[in-house]
Amino acid sequence: MRIRTAGVIAAAGLLMLGVAACGGSGEPAATPSKDKGNGKLVLWTDPTRAPVLKPFAEAFGKENGVTVEVKEISENQQQTFITASQQGSGPDIMVGAHDWIGNMVQNGAIDPVQLTAEQKAAFHPNAIKAVTFNGQIYGAPYAMENVALIRNTDLVPTAPATIEDLIKTGKDLKAAKKVQEILCVPFGAAGDVYHTYPLFSAAGGSLFGTTASGDPDPSKVTVNTPESIAALEKMKALGEKGEGAIKTSIGNENGIPSFVQKKCAFLISGPWSMNDVKKAGFGYDISAVPGFAAGGQAKPFLGVQAFYVASKGKSKVLAQEFVANYVTNKDVAMALYKADPRPAALTAAADAVKSLDPNAEKFVQAGANGIPMPAIPAMGAIWGPMANAEVAVVKGGDAKTAAEAATKAITAEINK
Amino acid sequence: MTTEVTGAGSARSPHPGPSGQAPDQRSRGGRRGGAEQVRRTRELSTGFIVSRIAVLGVVAALLIYALPPLIQTEAWTALGVVGVVTALVAYLYLTPRHIPAKYLVPGTIFLFAFAIVPIVLTFVTAFTNFGDGHRGTKEEAVRAIETSSVTQVPGSPEYYLTIAERDGELVFLLVDPDTKAVQAGTADGLSPLTGAEVSLTGKVLSAAGYTVIPTAQAAERDAEIAAFSVPTPGGAVKATGLSRAFEGKADKSYDAACDCVTSPSGGRWVADEVEGYFVDAEGKHLDQGWKVDVGFANFTKALTDPTISGHFLNVLIWNFVFALSAVATTFALGMIVALALHSPRVRGTKFYRIILILPYAMPGFAMLLIWRDMFNTDFGLISKLFGVHDWLGTPTTARLGLIVINLWMGFPYMFLVITGALQAVPRELTDAARIDGASAWAGFRRVTLPLVLVALTPLLISSFGFNFNNFNNIKLVTNGGPYAIDNSTVGATDLLISYTYRVAGFDSGVADFGFAAAISVFIFAIVATVSTVAFWRSRAQEEVYS
Amino acid sequence: MIKWLRDVGWRYAVVLVVCAFALFPVVFVVSAAINPLGTLGSTGLVPEGASLSNFHDLLTGDHPFAKWFLNSVIIALISAFAGLLISVAAAYAFSRMRFRGRRVGLLSILLIQMFPQFLAIVAIFIVFTEVTELYPTFGFNEPWGLLVLYLGGALGVNTYLMKGYLDTVPKEIDESATMDGASHVQTFFRIILPLVGPVLAVTAMLSFIGTINEFLIANVFLRDTEAKTLAVGMYGMLTDKRDANFGMFAAATLLTAIPTVSLFLWLQRYIVSGLTAGAVKG
Repeated sequence: MRIRTAGVIAAAGLLMLGVAACGGSGEPAATPSKDKGNGKLVLWTDPTRAPVLKPFAEAFGKENGVTVEVKEISENQQQTFITASQQGSGPDIMVGAHDWIGNMVQNGAIDPVQLTAEQKAAFHPNAIKAVTFNGQIYGAPYAMENVALIRNTDLVPTAPATIEDLIKTGKDLKAAKKVQEILCVPFGAAGDVYHTYPLFSAAGGSLFGTTASGDPDPSKVTVNTPESIAALEKMKALGEKGEGAIKTSIGNENGIPSFVQKKCAFLISGPWSMNDVKKAGFGYDISAVPGFAAGGQAKPFLGVQAFYVASKGKSKVLAQEFVANYVTNKDVAMALYKADPRPAALTAAADAVKSLDPNAEKFVQAGANGIPMPAIPAMGAIWGPMANAEVAVVKGGDAKTAAEAATKAITAEINK
Repeated sequence: MTTEVTGAGSARSPHPGPSGQAPDQRSRGGRRGGAEQVRRTRELSTGFIVSRIAVLGVVAALLIYALPPLIQTEAWTALGVVGVVTALVAYLYLTPRHIPAKYLVPGTIFLFAFAIVPIVLTFVTAFTNFGDGHRGTKEEAVRAIETSSVTQVPGSPEYYLTIAERDGELVFLLVDPDTKAVQAGTADGLSPLTGAEVSLTGKVLSAAGYTVIPTAQAAERDAEIAAFSVPTPGGAVKATGLSRAFEGKADKSYDAACDCVTSPSGGRWVADEVEGYFVDAEGKHLDQGWKVDVGFANFTKALTDPTISGHFLNVLIWNFVFALSAVATTFALGMIVALALHSPRVRGTKFYRIILILPYAMPGFAMLLIWRDMFNTDFGLISKLFGVHDWLGTPTTARLGLIVINLWMGFPYMFLVITGALQAVPRELTDAARIDGASAWAGFRRVTLPLVLVALTPLLISSFGFNFNNFNNIKLVTNGGPYAIDNSTVGATDLLISYTYRVAGFDSGVADFGFAAAISVFIFAIVATVSTVAFWRSRAQEEVYS
Repeated sequence: MIKWLRDVGWRYAVVLVVCAFALFPVVFVVSAAINPLGTLGSTGLVPEGASLSNFHDLLTGDHPFAKWFLNSVIIALISAFAGLLISVAAAYAFSRMRFRGRRVGLLSILLIQMFPQFLAIVAIFIVFTEVTELYPTFGFNEPWGLLVLYLGGALGVNTYLMKGYLDTVPKEIDESATMDGASHVQTFFRIILPLVGPVLAVTAMLSFIGTINEFLIANVFLRDTEAKTLAVGMYGMLTDKRDANFGMFAAATLLTAIPTVSLFLWLQRYIVSGLTAGAVKG
């Protein structure tokens, strides 16, 4: 019982100083210092990227004669950024996933970034698509990621052409006691829509319809269309009461470890698994998640990491200079890649480093059919109910019932 | 130390009666007569003077620290309040009166600032639609709508920008990347500029009559540059950073006459002050909204929305079961081990105590995740020991599992406080009970337990309150699951708090703070009622024992 | 022998069973921490291999683990000490004095801690944005800001714990001190405080643990890598690299328990001394 913690969580105000706050906010004109640029650029990111970005940010600072501070937010970056921005203590630049864009825009927390035609053309088209929201580009993408099929080549020399092949190979290996599991796809007791999306989409399932402009349309939830229900049926067939390829007992915490420990020959995961896989000491290869024999391609979600200009930052022009003109530079993108090897969003940089890391290129190839994760605010309403529906079918529940329950919960949340 | 009144009574009845006084001992001491008085007065005076000087010193230091920034920013209200608070504190510690307040004020100040202020804030928020999409003012929403509608004028060049100055006024020196033609842009518009020296990268190095501002200095004038625009026939030239500019125009603009947002392409969104959105004829709203007062809407929604009230009773029952069993199990186990170690005949108590507090010493969130792994169906330790079962996937075992996990995390706390409390139970009493022929169990029930309970009831109540809202355990272990296949809204292990968290959209990243605040008021009403009843009953009990 | 079993033997049996219960998740963490693959071996209590590589990576990696460790200990110690002082003073007033609003005050302290905190983060930003502008020393990213914020929880259930214990100290003791001419301040510091050592130790312990593991607020407050506490730093490591860092995380979890356990080792004699003190009191 961490009663003290509860008390501490309760704590959020300050009398002597807090009183000052009331006065200050009551008289906005009294704090002109806030609106003045201060020749300082503050950038927020997560703990993994902070050390990588620091040298680049500092180089930018030197080049322009300003100080640049890189701060790291450990957890809940998006909400922390939005809340901080609203109250006037946010950064000038935020770094984060592109699917935050919808929520950041509806809160007026970020500004569009004006890229030239030339700059836009230099990016992978999917990266530009990902950061485009309501026809505007809201950030400068720098890295892309998606899941792929990683296999142990000591056990499986050639990539399976279909999901059926994959299951058969997995079952044969299991029967031969070479592995314990057919497939390691992180799913967990709570479900995992992201990792299983290639399978769901290959089976014909989808989450949203699209608007005329090709953006996902929150008013058309397609979770209980006949196609999506059929896809859930296929997931049920792959689930615990069927083939046993998707299991609630394999989740994020043990998916990669199980593969590394040779408990399964196949893993569906992204570039972040490479550190462990390389250490495992067996041959491996990366290929796209295959489709079903009956047709239908697997479409993994594409995630893009991007730099955003905060609307309420104190140095907006400087922030734009950094986002629009500095990180879009090929040499900077290459250096970023070398520090943090994720598939670069800038095509020129990606091509230039192709020879250095074949894995990155293979992930990009595997994501060629991918669809950028919808950045609309309504996307948040999907994850929970959809995961519940998937858990239900994987455990052998009726696909139609699960799809209907999920749709009900999703629409209730969207129309909230 | 000698005590005038001794005996069993003093140990048993530490509690002064309700008529107990809070005498001002100093002034009373000062009234005593004889030589003793002289000595005491001198001694007290020294202490008096030193302590008063210290008080004044601290107050002065605080004022010296706190005032200048307030004066600088002209925050007069704040200044006034700081002044009043400081004066009150100074008065309180300078006067010999109000002794209880002297001991209570430091804690109260912090409590007020960091516990009461957020509660008040929550209360106020419950009457608004504050949340994602509705965080700021209408002006902020309008600004965001206009800014995000700015697009480049089709066919316009993507200029290289050099920031310069002429007669103290900001000037944009713009270089067309194709023609290398240079233009000077001021608040009046664009004009061609000849004779400028342009670098290969399109930077203007010098131009007659203009002073080029170095980047570092330009960065200092960030806000000024951000606000600067050069009007053009098609829109306006704005800076994109310090080295480029583009000619853009806003697609949407606010029209105060109709209180609406219009777009030249025909869109028209009228402000809806009830929803806090700009809404078009079809009822579709723009993304950016603003905060409006909604009266009791959040409260009535919580009571009438079937997705909430429909599940309320089931969730509430489990919530009570969880909170009560959490308190009961941790208290029981803590008591058992505390009693077991409460004997001089047990060797190695130090060692055991350290092992027993380990669960409390490890970071909670990490251990919750580890417990979740131990309950894993196929790979978890629990399945290895007790057989493969979908432990967290079936309602009954998931609930039991949570109680066990909570027991593990919570019993060391009870063990610690009970160990402390047991030391206040005079051993003579338990021994006396034993001599009377009572069994050890009866002695425990009749003597030890009631005495410990008197001291610890408030802690138990507090523990109940904490577990009633034990968000972390649920969130990290089951996330409210398992969910029934036909119900994706509420899971078998959801507490009111975790349920609210989801219903108010915190899980999905689009949070409705106003609604969450309204439900927290309800949750608080429930916990507070239960706790208050328990508190008054325990107080009544205390009077009996004292 | 039977008497021994009845009087002492059961005690060992109970303690050993409960110790086993307390330990087995910890053993699990140890297993993950020394597993060189750096994964949370969901396999069992026995790791696949044994090495200290996780600890080595932890201490030499990108993360300034030692600095976090130090920050945590300093913040937790200061806040435990300051919180203790504030709450024992309040407990003294509640236990020894009778004044208007006493009961309401006691009840309020209890209830205030029970309010659900959905808006804690928003409140922090509202208040500390201004504070940071006006008084940077107590603003964001500063341990001092975090400390004063933590003190908001000082007047909580710990006050009750100490009040309950103070109630057991015979009133006659301080009355006689007053007769001897001691002021209330002297009585409080020279007579009462030394007598309630065990509960001070227990409270300090609880308060220390609460602060060192506090995450929610520290996460919002501390943004520089160098300024972070263990809980915040570790959570960042865990969530961001998904599972890849679990071995290091387990190692860090174990190391985090070290300050708490050391403090307990040191305080234990005070807690234990209460046993004899209690007997004397009777």
